Amino acid sequence: MTPIVWTYLSYLILSLSLTVWVARTLHKNGRIFLVDAFLGNEQLADSINHLLVVGFYLINIGYVSLALREGQMPIDLQGVLETLSRKVGIVLLVLGGMHFFNLLVFSKMRKRALLHRAPPPLPPQAHIPVAAE
Amino acid sequence: MKRLYVLFDGECSMCGRCRTWLARQPAFLELHFLPFQSPEVARRFPGIADLHPEEQLLVVSDEGGVYRGSHAWIMCLYALRDYRELSLRLAHPALLPLARRFCELLSENRFRVSRWLDRLGANRLAENLAIRSVQ
Repeated sequence: MTPIVWTYLSYLILSLSLTVWVARTLHKNGRIFLVDAFLGNEQLADSINHLLVVGFYLINIGYVSLALREGQMPIDLQGVLETLSRKVGIVLLVLGGMHFFNLLVFSKMRKRALLHRAPPPLPPQAHIPVAAE
Repeated sequence: MKRLYVLFDGECSMCGRCRTWLARQPAFLELHFLPFQSPEVARRFPGIADLHPEEQLLVVSDEGGVYRGSHAWIMCLYALRDYRELSLRLAHPALLPLARRFCELLSENRFRVSRWLDRLGANRLAENLAIRSVQ
Protein backbone atom coordinates (compact mmCIF):
# COMPACT_ATOMS: atom_id res chain seq x y z
CA MET A 1 0.00 0.00 0.00
CA THR A 2 1.20 3.49 -0.86
CA PRO A 3 1.45 6.31 1.71
CA ILE A 4 -1.67 8.03 0.30
CA VAL A 5 -3.81 4.96 0.97
CA TRP A 6 -2.54 4.91 4.54
CA THR A 7 -3.45 8.57 4.83
CA TYR A 8 -6.94 7.92 3.47
CA LEU A 9 -7.56 4.97 5.76
CA SER A 10 -6.39 6.73 8.92
CA TYR A 11 -8.36 9.83 7.90
CA LEU A 12 -11.57 7.82 7.49
CA ILE A 13 -11.16 5.93 10.76
CA LEU A 14 -10.31 9.07 12.75
CA SER A 15 -13.03 11.32 11.29
CA LEU A 16 -15.76 8.70 11.46
CA SER A 17 -15.01 7.81 15.06
CA LEU A 18 -14.94 11.52 15.99
CA THR A 19 -18.30 12.02 14.25
CA VAL A 20 -19.81 9.08 16.14
CA TRP A 21 -18.42 10.38 19.44
CA VAL A 22 -19.81 13.91 18.94
CA ALA A 23 -23.19 12.60 17.75
CA ARG A 24 -23.52 10.31 20.80
CA THR A 25 -22.57 13.15 23.14
CA LEU A 26 -25.17 15.40 21.53
CA HIS A 27 -27.79 12.66 21.63
CA LYS A 28 -27.17 11.94 25.31
CA ASN A 29 -26.88 15.51 26.62
CA GLY A 30 -29.28 17.22 24.23
CA ARG A 31 -32.22 15.11 25.37
CA ILE A 32 -32.83 16.93 28.66
CA PHE A 33 -32.77 20.27 26.80
CA LEU A 34 -35.32 19.04 24.28
CA VAL A 35 -37.63 17.54 26.91
CA ASP A 36 -37.70 20.97 28.54
CA ALA A 37 -38.24 22.71 25.20
CA PHE A 38 -41.20 20.47 24.36
CA LEU A 39 -42.89 21.09 27.72
CA GLY A 40 -42.04 17.65 29.10
CA ASN A 41 -43.34 15.74 26.07
CA GLU A 42 -40.66 13.04 26.22
CA GLN A 43 -41.83 11.06 23.20
CA LEU A 44 -41.70 14.10 20.93
CA ALA A 45 -38.35 15.17 22.39
CA ASP A 46 -36.87 11.71 21.76
CA SER A 47 -38.16 11.68 18.22
CA ILE A 48 -36.74 15.16 17.43
CA ASN A 49 -33.48 14.22 19.13
CA HIS A 50 -33.14 11.14 16.95
CA LEU A 51 -33.96 13.07 13.77
CA LEU A 52 -31.39 15.74 14.64
CA VAL A 53 -28.71 13.09 15.17
CA VAL A 54 -29.55 11.48 11.81
CA GLY A 55 -29.16 14.87 10.12
CA PHE A 56 -25.89 15.40 11.95
CA TYR A 57 -24.52 12.04 10.74
CA LEU A 58 -25.62 12.67 7.16
CA ILE A 59 -23.98 16.10 6.94
CA ASN A 60 -20.76 15.07 8.64
CA ILE A 61 -20.22 11.74 6.89
CA GLY A 62 -21.13 13.46 3.63
CA TYR A 63 -18.50 16.11 4.27
CA VAL A 64 -15.87 13.54 5.30
CA SER A 65 -16.43 11.54 2.10
CA LEU A 66 -16.34 14.63 -0.12
CA ALA A 67 -13.13 15.88 1.47
CA LEU A 68 -11.33 12.53 1.20
CA ARG A 69 -9.44 13.08 -2.06
CA GLU A 70 -6.03 14.66 -1.69
CA GLY A 71 -4.20 16.41 -4.56
CA GLN A 72 -0.69 16.26 -3.15
CA MET A 73 0.73 12.76 -2.78
CA PRO A 74 2.71 12.32 0.47
CA ILE A 75 5.90 10.35 -0.12
CA ASP A 76 7.06 9.68 3.44
CA LEU A 77 5.71 9.42 7.00
CA GLN A 78 6.13 13.16 7.58
CA GLY A 79 3.98 13.92 4.56
CA VAL A 80 1.35 11.42 5.68
CA LEU A 81 1.14 12.96 9.15
CA GLU A 82 0.95 16.51 7.80
CA THR A 83 -1.81 15.70 5.33
CA LEU A 84 -3.68 13.70 7.95
CA SER A 85 -3.53 16.43 10.59
CA ARG A 86 -4.72 19.09 8.12
CA LYS A 87 -7.67 16.98 6.96
CA VAL A 88 -8.68 15.88 10.47
CA GLY A 89 -8.32 19.47 11.66
CA ILE A 90 -10.83 20.66 9.05
CA VAL A 91 -13.24 17.86 10.00
CA LEU A 92 -12.94 18.87 13.67
CA LEU A 93 -13.72 22.49 12.83
CA VAL A 94 -16.77 21.41 10.80
CA LEU A 95 -17.91 19.23 13.71
CA GLY A 96 -17.41 22.13 16.12
CA GLY A 97 -19.45 24.41 13.86
CA MET A 98 -22.24 21.84 13.59
CA HIS A 99 -22.16 21.33 17.35
CA PHE A 100 -22.64 25.03 18.05
CA PHE A 101 -25.35 25.23 15.42
CA ASN A 102 -27.18 22.36 17.16
CA LEU A 103 -26.79 24.08 20.53
CA LEU A 104 -28.21 27.26 19.01
CA VAL A 105 -31.24 25.36 17.70
CA PHE A 106 -31.78 23.65 21.07
CA SER A 107 -31.54 26.88 23.06
CA LYS A 108 -33.85 28.69 20.59
CA MET A 109 -36.47 25.96 21.06
CA ARG A 110 -36.06 26.09 24.82
CA LYS A 111 -36.31 29.87 24.92
CA ARG A 112 -39.49 29.76 22.85
CA ALA A 113 -41.04 27.20 25.20
CA LEU A 114 -40.12 29.30 28.23
CA LEU A 115 -41.70 32.37 26.60
CA HIS A 116 -44.92 30.41 26.20
CA ARG A 117 -45.02 29.90 29.96
CA ALA A 118 -43.74 33.35 30.98
CA PRO A 119 -45.97 35.08 33.55
CA PRO A 120 -47.35 38.57 32.73
CA PRO A 121 -44.52 41.12 33.01
CA LEU A 122 -46.62 43.68 34.91
CA PRO A 123 -49.15 43.48 37.76
CA PRO A 124 -52.63 44.90 37.05
CA GLN A 125 -53.06 48.57 38.07
CA ALA A 126 -56.70 48.13 39.09
CA HIS A 127 -59.39 45.48 39.31
CA ILE A 128 -62.93 45.56 37.96
CA PRO A 129 -65.59 42.86 37.74
CA VAL A 130 -66.03 41.31 34.29
CA ALA A 131 -69.63 40.35 33.42
CA ALA A 132 -70.14 36.98 31.73
CA GLU A 133 -70.98 37.03 28.02
CA MET B 1 -55.16 34.58 31.93
CA LYS B 2 -56.54 33.47 28.57
CA ARG B 3 -58.04 36.57 27.04
CA LEU B 4 -57.38 40.31 26.96
CA TYR B 5 -60.03 42.91 26.21
CA VAL B 6 -58.51 45.90 24.42
CA LEU B 7 -60.58 49.07 24.89
CA PHE B 8 -59.48 51.48 22.18
CA ASP B 9 -60.81 54.74 20.77
CA GLY B 10 -63.16 53.87 17.91
CA GLU B 11 -63.01 57.43 16.56
CA CYS B 12 -59.25 57.49 16.08
CA SER B 13 -57.98 55.98 12.85
CA MET B 14 -54.48 55.38 14.23
CA CYS B 15 -56.05 53.20 16.94
CA GLY B 16 -57.99 51.35 14.25
CA ARG B 17 -54.78 50.71 12.33
CA CYS B 18 -53.07 49.44 15.47
CA ARG B 19 -56.03 47.18 16.10
CA THR B 20 -55.81 45.73 12.56
CA TRP B 21 -52.08 45.12 13.03
CA LEU B 22 -52.55 43.48 16.44
CA ALA B 23 -55.35 41.26 15.15
CA ARG B 24 -53.13 39.97 12.33
CA GLN B 25 -50.28 38.80 14.59
CA PRO B 26 -50.08 35.20 15.86
CA ALA B 27 -50.94 35.34 19.56
CA PHE B 28 -50.61 33.35 22.79
CA LEU B 29 -53.65 35.06 24.34
CA GLU B 30 -56.95 35.81 22.66
CA LEU B 31 -57.30 39.55 21.97
CA HIS B 32 -60.81 40.93 22.03
CA PHE B 33 -61.14 44.48 20.65
CA LEU B 34 -63.88 46.83 21.86
CA PRO B 35 -64.19 50.55 21.05
CA PHE B 36 -64.76 52.26 24.43
CA GLN B 37 -67.73 54.14 22.91
CA SER B 38 -69.65 50.89 22.39
CA PRO B 39 -72.48 50.18 24.90
CA GLU B 40 -71.15 46.65 25.33
CA VAL B 41 -68.17 48.02 27.27
CA ALA B 42 -70.32 49.49 30.06
CA ARG B 43 -72.39 46.30 30.16
CA ARG B 44 -69.44 43.96 30.35
CA PHE B 45 -67.28 46.04 32.69
CA PRO B 46 -69.50 47.79 35.25
CA GLY B 47 -67.65 50.79 36.70
CA ILE B 48 -65.22 51.11 33.78
CA ALA B 49 -66.11 54.83 33.36
CA ASP B 50 -64.19 55.63 36.59
CA LEU B 51 -61.03 54.40 34.90
CA HIS B 52 -61.38 56.93 32.04
CA PRO B 53 -61.03 54.72 28.95
CA GLU B 54 -61.18 57.92 26.82
CA GLU B 55 -57.85 59.17 28.18
CA GLN B 56 -55.58 56.30 27.27
CA LEU B 57 -55.59 52.73 26.04
CA LEU B 58 -57.08 50.27 28.53
CA VAL B 59 -56.55 46.53 28.59
CA VAL B 60 -58.67 44.32 30.85
CA SER B 61 -57.79 40.68 31.41
CA ASP B 62 -60.49 38.02 31.67
CA GLU B 63 -59.65 37.92 35.40
CA GLY B 64 -60.56 41.61 35.78
CA GLY B 65 -57.03 43.07 36.00
CA VAL B 66 -56.85 46.53 34.39
CA TYR B 67 -53.78 47.90 32.62
CA ARG B 68 -53.51 51.51 31.48
CA GLY B 69 -51.44 53.33 28.86
CA SER B 70 -47.92 51.96 28.49
CA HIS B 71 -48.80 48.97 30.69
CA ALA B 72 -51.72 48.23 28.36
CA TRP B 73 -49.45 48.40 25.33
CA ILE B 74 -46.92 46.09 26.96
CA MET B 75 -49.71 43.62 27.78
CA CYS B 76 -50.82 43.68 24.11
CA LEU B 77 -47.26 42.84 23.05
CA TYR B 78 -47.12 40.17 25.76
CA ALA B 79 -50.13 38.48 24.13
CA LEU B 80 -48.32 38.22 20.78
CA ARG B 81 -46.14 35.25 19.93
CA ASP B 82 -43.44 37.27 18.15
CA TYR B 83 -43.38 40.20 20.55
CA ARG B 84 -43.57 38.59 24.00
CA GLU B 85 -39.80 38.81 24.38
CA LEU B 86 -39.92 42.53 23.58
CA SER B 87 -42.73 43.05 26.11
CA LEU B 88 -40.69 41.39 28.87
CA ARG B 89 -37.80 43.68 28.00
CA LEU B 90 -39.97 46.82 27.91
CA ALA B 91 -41.50 45.96 31.29
CA HIS B 92 -38.04 46.15 32.88
CA PRO B 93 -37.82 49.11 35.31
CA ALA B 94 -35.02 50.65 33.23
CA LEU B 95 -37.15 50.87 30.07
CA LEU B 96 -40.63 51.32 31.54
CA PRO B 97 -40.40 55.14 32.03
CA LEU B 98 -39.31 55.49 28.40
CA ALA B 99 -42.23 53.34 27.22
CA ARG B 100 -44.58 55.39 29.41
CA ARG B 101 -43.33 58.69 27.97
CA PHE B 102 -43.72 57.37 24.42
CA CYS B 103 -47.28 56.11 25.04
CA GLU B 104 -48.33 59.41 26.64
CA LEU B 105 -47.00 61.31 23.66
CA LEU B 106 -48.78 58.98 21.27
CA SER B 107 -52.05 59.11 23.27
CA GLU B 108 -52.09 62.91 23.45
CA ASN B 109 -51.35 63.28 19.75
CA ARG B 110 -53.40 60.38 18.47
CA PHE B 111 -55.75 62.58 16.41
CA ARG B 112 -52.83 64.48 14.89
CA VAL B 113 -51.11 61.19 13.99
CA SER B 114 -54.42 59.87 12.61
CA ARG B 115 -54.87 62.94 10.37
CA TRP B 116 -51.30 62.55 9.13
CA LEU B 117 -51.79 58.81 8.41
CA ASP B 118 -55.12 59.52 6.68
CA ARG B 119 -53.48 62.18 4.52
CA LEU B 120 -50.71 59.75 3.64
CA GLY B 121 -53.29 57.11 2.71
CA ALA B 122 -55.30 59.62 0.68
CA ASN B 123 -52.19 60.77 -1.20
CA ARG B 124 -51.28 57.19 -2.03
CA LEU B 125 -54.81 56.51 -3.25
CA ALA B 126 -54.70 59.68 -5.36
CA GLU B 127 -51.38 58.60 -6.88
CA ASN B 128 -52.73 55.14 -7.70
CA LEU B 129 -55.82 56.65 -9.31
CA ALA B 130 -53.67 59.06 -11.33
CA ILE B 131 -51.48 56.18 -12.56
CA ARG B 132 -54.53 54.16 -13.50
CA SER B 133 -56.19 57.04 -15.37
CA VAL B 134 -52.97 57.64 -17.36
CA GLN B 135 -52.87 53.98 -18.33
